[in-house]
Amino acid sequence: MKMAQGEGVLVTYALGSCIGLCFHDPRLRLGALLHIMLPINMETGRTHPLKYADTGIRETLKQMEARGAMRSRMTVKIAGGAKMFEIAGGSGLGNIGQRNIESVNAILKRENIRLLGQEVGGKVARTLFFDVGSGQGCVRSYGQKDIFF
Amino acid sequence: MAIKTYDQMNSLEIDTLREIGSIGTGNAATALSQMLGKEVRITLPEVRIMGYNEAIEWIGGPEAVTAGVLVKMSGDMGGIMLSVQKLELVNIILETMLGQSIQDYEELAELERSALIEIGNIMISAFVTALSGLAGIDVNLTVPAFAVDMQGAILAVPMAEYGGMSDYLMTIGGNFVCDGKEVPSHLMLSPDLRSLNFLLRKLGVSDE
Repeated sequence: MKMAQGEGVLVTYALGSCIGLCFHDPRLRLGALLHIMLPINMETGRTHPLKYADTGIRETLKQMEARGAMRSRMTVKIAGGAKMFEIAGGSGLGNIGQRNIESVNAILKRENIRLLGQEVGGKVARTLFFDVGSGQGCVRSYGQKDIFF
Repeated sequence: MAIKTYDQMNSLEIDTLREIGSIGTGNAATALSQMLGKEVRITLPEVRIMGYNEAIEWIGGPEAVTAGVLVKMSGDMGGIMLSVQKLELVNIILETMLGQSIQDYEELAELERSALIEIGNIMISAFVTALSGLAGIDVNLTVPAFAVDMQGAILAVPMAEYGGMSDYLMTIGGNFVCDGKEVPSHLMLSPDLRSLNFLLRKLGVSDE
């Protein structure tokens, strides 16, 4: 997870089934970019909370609130959750992206954070840029035009 | 002692995997050589156990576009096997099989894609056949899946699949030498940890 205030662009590269979340508090111009890989943390030792949607989102919110961010002002944009490989016969592989999307949505709702935009699903990898000043997100994919959201 | 994460393996266990990698890659090279009708040799294979970021840097950065053929293993051993095909290898395959080459992955049409899938599938199958023969186990493989995209996202597939158990990727592979040119080739074997333990026990190197 990376955080910046005032100005600057945060970036996370090549999101496949992973999801990138851009947290933004417009009044403070405070932004955080979180990159999660899996929907739910079932680690016993919990050594990597930021790898999972549930513990990652809560940890990020905690750190943003420690810097004065308010949940009522906060917004989130998300990108990722693609299915990179389509395996015939569906053996469970490749559902991780979809599970990540569902988990992120459910947790944001539970934490009362407004979801402002999403570029999720499909089959393409995405590189996500997040301008912490304006709160604008940009998704770059191979062989496609950049998408601003 | 059963291994809980890849980085807990001792040097004997890693040597064993290197040997498997050597035999498997050798078989894959033979299969490739038969398909292409030219001599293909291999350089010394390496076994690397890397964190995701390290693996991405090793293979050339997250946003570099590459072709990947992925097969899922089940049966006595579960896991994922991935063949990462860089443009050099792609062009050797296409020039030999179809008499053409490409500058960019976007030029791949249906026919070229299926040639690459087939080559990837044959190399993976040759690798796994050697491995299962050596260990005396039965491994089933799925139909191969194919993707052309940023390699960061392609490598993240085995990471995400087994990410709950380990933060490391195991790659076994070496470079092929074809027409006197060294072509980087990455075959990645990512067994789940239960299977890795089973495999090492079958090969008689796990000390429990």
